[in-house]
Amino acid sequence: MEKLKINGVEKEFSVEQFPANLAELLRYLNIEAATVVAEVDGRIIERENFATTKLSEGQSIELVRFVPGG
Amino acid sequence: MDELIIAGRKFKSRLFVGTGKFASSKIMAEAIEKSGTEIVTVALRRVDIQNQNDDMLAAIDRDKYLLLPNTSGARNANEAVRLSRLARAATGINWVKLEVTPDPYYLLPDPVETLKAAEILVREGFVVLPYINADPILAKKLEDAGTATVMPLASPIGSNQGLKTRSAIEIIIEQANVPVVVDAGLGLPSHAAEAMEIGADAVLVNTAIATAQDCAAMAMAFKLAVEAGRLAYLSGPAGVSKKASASSPLTGFLRE
Repeated sequence: MEKLKINGVEKEFSVEQFPANLAELLRYLNIEAATVVAEVDGRIIERENFATTKLSEGQSIELVRFVPGG
Repeated sequence: MDELIIAGRKFKSRLFVGTGKFASSKIMAEAIEKSGTEIVTVALRRVDIQNQNDDMLAAIDRDKYLLLPNTSGARNANEAVRLSRLARAATGINWVKLEVTPDPYYLLPDPVETLKAAEILVREGFVVLPYINADPILAKKLEDAGTATVMPLASPIGSNQGLKTRSAIEIIIEQANVPVVVDAGLGLPSHAAEAMEIGADAVLVNTAIATAQDCAAMAMAFKLAVEAGRLAYLSGPAGVSKKASASSPLTGFLRE
């Protein structure tokens, strides 16, 4: 099993399941990429670079989006 | 009505509307429309991986409204800077409403951390609109640091108490060379009108609209109040005196 920490929670993937890049992870999680901004190990990833951002075991990923607020 | 100019961008409306606390995206969209606003604030939060709700903000037409991300939830300058960078990556625009509120009970802004964050963000090319206590010295320091506005609070966020900080805000307005946007605590259209009458350049309202029984009607009431207040300010309000001053002639009375 390989792990990723996503929004503070550890998630395990089998080797076959493990997403190759950020775009794949979002598809796996069923999250619409157009509304999301991401950080991988504290580095901001622009949306157009999701597909080219490779993921590896043990990385910490933050997925954030806009919500209503004042 | 005269235009509001922030960082070179022109706005017809002087009412900013916050998008929090609305019961549904439909009610929110209708209230935003009726308010006549051109600037709406939003927050940035983690996506809920387990339970993805639909995108509440999809109802906002981003060509029509400037989305102003806030840094709510930031407890220090570093967190606020991180949120600002994420927001910029998400919107592609570099405007940010800077909020640093370490105190969970009154949500009062931290002046030291706010100034620190503002200096960093201005250096990075952000258009910074800082939420602050009504402190004239701090407002001046932020302006000197290059912020696009200052946003002093009327009273604590969401409290609907009205313009409790009036005398300090009057000093901020007198001294400011950037737009002064009165934010937080304006609970009624009369509060917003009062802020505009003393010369505020704009106001931000969220809770008072979002938690009214009829949000769209309240949004319209705030729109009218902001316009009335601005017009009154521009008209040069008449002076106040202790004694009466007759409005009708004091001659020609029908008496002996």
